[in-house]
Amino acid sequence: MSGTVAMAPQPAAEHATSWRKNRKLDQWIAFWSVPFFFNLFGLVFVPLSWMMPPRSPGSTTPHIVDFMHSHNLLIACVILTLAYGLAPVSNACYLMQVRRMSVSPAFRYSMMIGAITGAIVGMLFPMFCFGLGAFRPGYNSGVLTMLYDFGYLAFIGSLGCFCVMWMAFALAIILDENGILPKWLGYYTIWQYVTELMAAPVWIVKTGPFAWNGLMTFWFAMTLYVPWQIIVYVCIYRAIKNQPEAELDNASPELRPKTVEFRSGTSA
Amino acid sequence: MTNVAEGVTPGVDNSRPDDSGRGHVPGDSSMWFFVIGDLLIFGVYFVGYMYFRGQNHELFLQSQARLNLDIGAINTVMLLTSSLFVALGTEAARAGNRVAALQRFWIALAFGAAFPLLKMFEWIPEICSGLTPGKNLFFMYYYVMTGIHLCHVALGLVIMCFILRHLKTSKAPKISFVETGATYWHMVDVLWLVLFALLYLMR
Repeated sequence: MSGTVAMAPQPAAEHATSWRKNRKLDQWIAFWSVPFFFNLFGLVFVPLSWMMPPRSPGSTTPHIVDFMHSHNLLIACVILTLAYGLAPVSNACYLMQVRRMSVSPAFRYSMMIGAITGAIVGMLFPMFCFGLGAFRPGYNSGVLTMLYDFGYLAFIGSLGCFCVMWMAFALAIILDENGILPKWLGYYTIWQYVTELMAAPVWIVKTGPFAWNGLMTFWFAMTLYVPWQIIVYVCIYRAIKNQPEAELDNASPELRPKTVEFRSGTSA
Repeated sequence: MTNVAEGVTPGVDNSRPDDSGRGHVPGDSSMWFFVIGDLLIFGVYFVGYMYFRGQNHELFLQSQARLNLDIGAINTVMLLTSSLFVALGTEAARAGNRVAALQRFWIALAFGAAFPLLKMFEWIPEICSGLTPGKNLFFMYYYVMTGIHLCHVALGLVIMCFILRHLKTSKAPKISFVETGATYWHMVDVLWLVLFALLYLMR
């Protein structure tokens, strides 16, 4: 990675408008949407609806019916379905950096499609399932139990899409020769996609460490995932900060070298 | 791990990013980050397995008796032999003996590739006779742990193919790349040794 670009000191009068002239503003908006997105997730998942930590697959029918009829669950589902729109924005900050790597665009496209399909199955499907119970209270208990299973299995057992997404991200980091993100992060990302595979037993058992609320499939996967997510964003933050202004798509013409113009003109 | 040959060999790129002193860590340092982390992750699985084994000792023993110990033992020999040839191949590559290195890595690849094949001969009859992951907790652990290990083996075989290509086509083979791949393969071997002991042998 080349060194940071030295910014000229700004006069005080210009300071108020300077952030709007920041040529990395798009990337910073995408970046800061992430903590907002995850904090909202945390609040809605845990104290509002108690959807997470996951309830047991072996819960009794009256417990399932009570949970599915909860109005807080419906409110949580509406908030998350609205917040779903932030998923493409927050994924943009990965993709902008992957674009700078010396790897085939196939990695970026795989990530993009993996993120889209993964979010549909892993986020939108569960929200529809969990929201339906309180929306129309007349459903019988068998239907509600099915929606409960469908919701949790879609949320925790939607394996392939995210697996391919993180695999593409890991390989892009490891194979990249421009040093955009540290290599060890690529290796850490390998574990992240392996946790998606480790969750496959949720489709088989309903109790014990491999159930969807189990020690190995949920808690251990979370122990790997949460630090990974924080570390990735710290690394992405540094990558955006260190990105030379001349390399940006919207760089002023005098800053932009001819080679960069050529590259951004040919790549999608 | 084989000894580190110091000194410059013609036709071999011995340079390393952290080549300041005589002693060094073989291969890319980020691979060591991966190796240590991977061992810790498998460690969590091992501890979990031991805990639940302690809770259902009889069930685990009875289930264990139904595994195919012969194929397990043959696979252990396959991986150990493969690892030996990887170590010999790395030594040859360090010495600049490209022909010997290629030969040894081909042998290592052949032994390594036998592992997933034999695994299929082990798994398919087991699954057909009803010993599926849903049978009980022992078989769930068995399939999950050996399955993740099999993914590691598959990745190792791909890495070995890249090493062979690199040794064959590169003008000055990068020794740190060969060492990185060898480090990974030795880790796969170590993990199998623990898995074999825990799943097949422990009584």
